Amino acid sequence: MEQGVTLILNSLTLISILVLVSLGLAIIFGLMNVINLAHGEFVTIGAYTLALTQAMGGNYWVALVMAPLIGAMFGLLIEKGMIRYLYEKPTSIILATWGLGMVLQQGLQLVFGAAPQRVSSPISGAVDILGASYPAYRLMLIGFSILIILACYALLRFTRFGLDIRAVIQDRSMASALGIDTERVNARAFALGAALAAIAGVLIAPLTVVIAQMGINYLARSFFVVIVGGIGGVGGVVAGSTLVGGLEGFMNYHLPVTVSQALVLVAAIVIVRFRPRGLVPA
Amino acid sequence: MSAQDQISAAARATARDATFARPKFVLIAAGWLVLASLPFWAGAYNIATIRDVLLFGLFALSLDFLWGRTGILSFGHAAFFGLGAYGMAIVTIKLGLDPASASLLGLLGGTGLAMLAALVVGYFLIFSGVRGTYLTIVTLALTVIAQHIAIGWSEVTGGDSGLIGVPPLTFELFGWRYALSDPSQFYWFVLLLASIILLVLWRVLSGRYGHILTAIEDNELRARTIGHHTDRHLLTVFVVSAGIAGLAGAIYATGTGFVAPDMIGLMLSTEVIMWVAVGGRGTLVGPFIGAFVVWWLQQKISSIDTKLWPMFIGLFFIAMVFLFPNGVMSLGERGRQLRARLWRRA
Repeated sequence: MEQGVTLILNSLTLISILVLVSLGLAIIFGLMNVINLAHGEFVTIGAYTLALTQAMGGNYWVALVMAPLIGAMFGLLIEKGMIRYLYEKPTSIILATWGLGMVLQQGLQLVFGAAPQRVSSPISGAVDILGASYPAYRLMLIGFSILIILACYALLRFTRFGLDIRAVIQDRSMASALGIDTERVNARAFALGAALAAIAGVLIAPLTVVIAQMGINYLARSFFVVIVGGIGGVGGVVAGSTLVGGLEGFMNYHLPVTVSQALVLVAAIVIVRFRPRGLVPA
Repeated sequence: MSAQDQISAAARATARDATFARPKFVLIAAGWLVLASLPFWAGAYNIATIRDVLLFGLFALSLDFLWGRTGILSFGHAAFFGLGAYGMAIVTIKLGLDPASASLLGLLGGTGLAMLAALVVGYFLIFSGVRGTYLTIVTLALTVIAQHIAIGWSEVTGGDSGLIGVPPLTFELFGWRYALSDPSQFYWFVLLLASIILLVLWRVLSGRYGHILTAIEDNELRARTIGHHTDRHLLTVFVVSAGIAGLAGAIYATGTGFVAPDMIGLMLSTEVIMWVAVGGRGTLVGPFIGAFVVWWLQQKISSIDTKLWPMFIGLFFIAMVFLFPNGVMSLGERGRQLRARLWRRA
């Protein structure tokens, strides 16, 4: 029972992180049919924001507010400075954003050094849930992620901006003909995705090793999520994250991490064969 | 033979004659002769280095065959190279066979492993209509996972430190055994193998099959409508490309004598894209030139500071997309065009 609860909560932690990281990727992919390989670096930027804030004597919550702003700024900068010119050439975007990711990684390493950054979590201790003792910080992380996911859902479903995004995903030229400024939608969606990834970076920083190359692990996983779940909506991302995160969480319990990651890849590829548009197509 | 066929045959013959007379062809032939004579005037260390660069060139050729001819960019081609290298190392070190059969089995095992992986991944993806960027990111995930496994599964792969003690290639024919331990002979073997594969690919691609692939890259739906099994063609190219990469990896491992996780990882996958891009996508000879140029650059830049190299690659990728999307070689072409235009105006 206790083990079961811990297992489920561990999987939930992973799932929440995956949703936050993948959401931006999925929306951007759905909107512009481009893959941003520098997306993992937004996670890194978030984590480094926390490290820097704490190193300067600031507090965790300040970083949690700052990170999405910095992430959005970077996202906007990249969209305006680079991606905007390449929309017609998806392969070029892959190459350019991959190059950008490497430059960002090396830049961070030059400025901050190769050693892992020190970060600390804002709350410590454990909470008893159904007989299992679980770290309070992870519970906070899960709760916080659920709030953000709900907020994103509401944003896409009930606001003008969300309506624009959904319209552009469905039919770009028709949306444009109806007077939606699709370029502005692109830029804003890009910034939103970057901000979400940066928040994820702050949230996971206390649980992992904060180094310049940390983004790549989340990048690879969030690809599975997007491929399996389907692009363009919160539903697909949640479904994909649940499958990928849940599968990995459960298998990590019985199998070595490497084996379970390989099996998740196999599962993702097999699922694509039968549901090419993902579990929940937009 | 119909009249039209005769005309096209004649046209093809003229085209072929033109190919052999072109300065480009003369340059390539001269370059090949220089490479072939290398063991007579270079030291053992340089021979071994150039041999490794040639194998990297062969690896780049395998990517060019896929990326250049079908437009599918594999971001994880090092997974296949690494599978070949690890296959060779595991067969020769772990199984305890006699050297000749171990070498052969290692070559077959390494290449086969790479092709099998490509077949499985390719079947599920290509036949479900996954194309373009989607396929690229799955191959990227493939190399990330492959590296994780190479590091994590230490009982088989040796973990972070890899496996040491891959013996040189050994062949046995009718009781006559031959080990390629002499650097010059091994070098010639590699050069010969690379040349043969290059020629075969060039021959195949300049014929009907090359046109089919070009048609698929241009407009897959149209190619399918005319009656080509585009799925099957793409899968074939993917698997053959993985096989060549695996073969290059397997032979590379016998040259260095060890395998390590960086032979299967993301960095190598990135570098091979760079070799192809520098040499010119779709040119087949270009990847070899690209491998040489980039390798030389890497020596120069890393000798200043090893940390500069990844930064340089990153900047190169960004610059490539904006300044020379068709490869560095296209810069020369553009320069020529510009000069021609200025000449006419003057």
